[in-house]
Amino acid sequence: MSEPRIPVDLIVKKLAEDSEKAYKSAQKAYKVLLGPLDTEIATTPHEIVYEEDRIKVKHYKPTTGAKLKTPLLLVYALINRETMLDLQPGRSAIQNFLNEGVEIYMIDWGYPTRKDRYLTIDDHVNGYINNVIDFIRERHNLSKINLMGICMGGTFSVMYSALHPEKVKNLVTTVTPVNFDTDTGLLHVWMKSINVDKMVDTHGNIPADMMNFGFLLLNPARLMIDKYVGFLENVNNKNFVENFIRMEKWIFDSPDIPGETFRQFINDCYKKNLLIKNKMELGGHRVNLKKITMPLFNIYGKFDHLVPPEACERTTKAVGSRDTEDVRLDTGHIGIYVSSKVQKEFAPRISNWLKERDKPEKKSPGRKKTVVRRTVAKTRATVPLPKKEKKKISAQGDTKND
Amino acid sequence: MSENKKEETFPESLMSFWMKSATDFWGSTYRMWPGGSEPFQSEGLKKQFQRLESAPKMWQSFFSALSAPESVNALFKGMDILPETILQTLQSGWGGYSDLQKEWMEKASRIGKRIEPGKFEDIDKDLFKAWSEIYEKEFRQFLNIPQIGLNRFSQERRGQTLDNLNLYVIAVSEFMNLLNLPVEKSAKAMSEKLGEATEKGELSENFEEYYREWIKILEGHYMVLFKSTEYIQVLNNVLDAGESYSSARNHLIEDILQSYPIATNRDVDELYKEIYLLKKEVKKLSKK
Repeated sequence: MSEPRIPVDLIVKKLAEDSEKAYKSAQKAYKVLLGPLDTEIATTPHEIVYEEDRIKVKHYKPTTGAKLKTPLLLVYALINRETMLDLQPGRSAIQNFLNEGVEIYMIDWGYPTRKDRYLTIDDHVNGYINNVIDFIRERHNLSKINLMGICMGGTFSVMYSALHPEKVKNLVTTVTPVNFDTDTGLLHVWMKSINVDKMVDTHGNIPADMMNFGFLLLNPARLMIDKYVGFLENVNNKNFVENFIRMEKWIFDSPDIPGETFRQFINDCYKKNLLIKNKMELGGHRVNLKKITMPLFNIYGKFDHLVPPEACERTTKAVGSRDTEDVRLDTGHIGIYVSSKVQKEFAPRISNWLKERDKPEKKSPGRKKTVVRRTVAKTRATVPLPKKEKKKISAQGDTKND
Repeated sequence: MSENKKEETFPESLMSFWMKSATDFWGSTYRMWPGGSEPFQSEGLKKQFQRLESAPKMWQSFFSALSAPESVNALFKGMDILPETILQTLQSGWGGYSDLQKEWMEKASRIGKRIEPGKFEDIDKDLFKAWSEIYEKEFRQFLNIPQIGLNRFSQERRGQTLDNLNLYVIAVSEFMNLLNLPVEKSAKAMSEKLGEATEKGELSENFEEYYREWIKILEGHYMVLFKSTEYIQVLNNVLDAGESYSSARNHLIEDILQSYPIATNRDVDELYKEIYLLKKEVKKLSKK
């Protein structure tokens, strides 16, 4: 008698073991889910120092005293919330900046309501961001401050720096799309064909749930199936559950997007790619990237599926500054801010870069400021890097040269 | 009996009797009102009562005229030709219905023609295409029949909303079907892999391995699908149809809300725009 081709006995044995494991896991999961869970996000102490309409500015003081004379303003995207930078103790970009002695201000864009549907990019950039920067400059008696943008907030920061270079000391862009003419990311492919005018005319503001569904559709296998399978596999692990819930809270805590801002962002950026061509206009003023003469530090993720490297890596060449640096990290769009591994280098690296350029400048109203230029050759290795990262940058540079 | 004197037949006399009784009854009922036209003191109310008083009088004289033998006779003469009229009406009505039914039958036969029997290669794609075509060519016109009369606008809105809802349902079904394709394809690929492993006697006892493999295949299929022009077209269709439906529904609701003291989106949007422009102006001025 020949042996059966299917190892039925082994499969049955495995099934029995698995069901035993599942039973024990379910018992433990029951206790975890019903027990006390710490799932709070954005717990780093701060105070609200500025409010205008729906927006607020959070102020974080360094834990070890400010090591930089110039504070850093963080501008988050209008999609999702800035709480991502402070998800939990030990995985908080904000906390890491504070540990590095950087004084942080961060814009909380709030939740737009129907009345905000007419707000344009101009209102956000030349209105809110400009007012916040003026407030911080005034508060610190400085003519310029450091500006760091995240994703769409980075694009806004680039626009701002081009229009108001006299108020920005150093510019840091993280996962910031400036070149929208790429077919690498699905978002770039899809956005080119949507009828944004009809969408905005119908909805007013773009509903957050619609955006979230769109983001889930970028990778349904991972984001709608595998993620939750992973959760079920680890549901008996209290630490895992807490982290998972924190992330879920952040992901689905989504404000709507002001309609006119969305319309302009899709039409001018995704469809016409005006920003990189220096043809974009805000409030009647042309955004010329060549006017970005302050030092620029540009960080992006190698595996970013939302803002692919192709969307970020042309920025440093497009600006007028001669002190620029590109850093491509081995992570994705969100991983840059929340991955434990990346966190070890993300904030320290930016802080070091800022510290090297932290020449104090006192505010002197009425006098035209001379832009301090560091005449460093346009290279991606101006700051000493770990050996591994140097390699990555070199490889990326080669690709660009090709 | 004189030649001019018309002899009343049974139904004529019955009609005449009924009309007289009815007139007498309503006349007496009116007179039973206590005080006649006097109970109302104010001039306005008196006028109203006088108007009411004239109504039964008019009714009485009308019926008296009708109960005259000549009138009753004319009425019954008209009744003689009633069967002919009914027949003619029925004939034309039935003919119209028959034509309509014939047209429906033709529509139904066209539905059959749109789906090719026994063809399964692109059954999903064909099915949605056929469904969409059937609806758009055979049924949609009914919801867009020009409306007339006082309620024409609201009827039109209802028709448009229903029409857009149907188009949205079709678009969503097609979109969901497309999203399901990678699941089907990955399941097929997995079953083939399992079949091969079974043939070779290399079937793993660890199911997690199969899950990992499946999710990888699924992810790959989705990536291919999402970049395809077909998917982008279907995605745009569903967004477009959703927005059209949303817009039509909002217009309908706004029309309904107009009769209530409730502000509509259209109202508040106008107001918000004014506030937005004013605020912008104020901010600009306050900076000067």
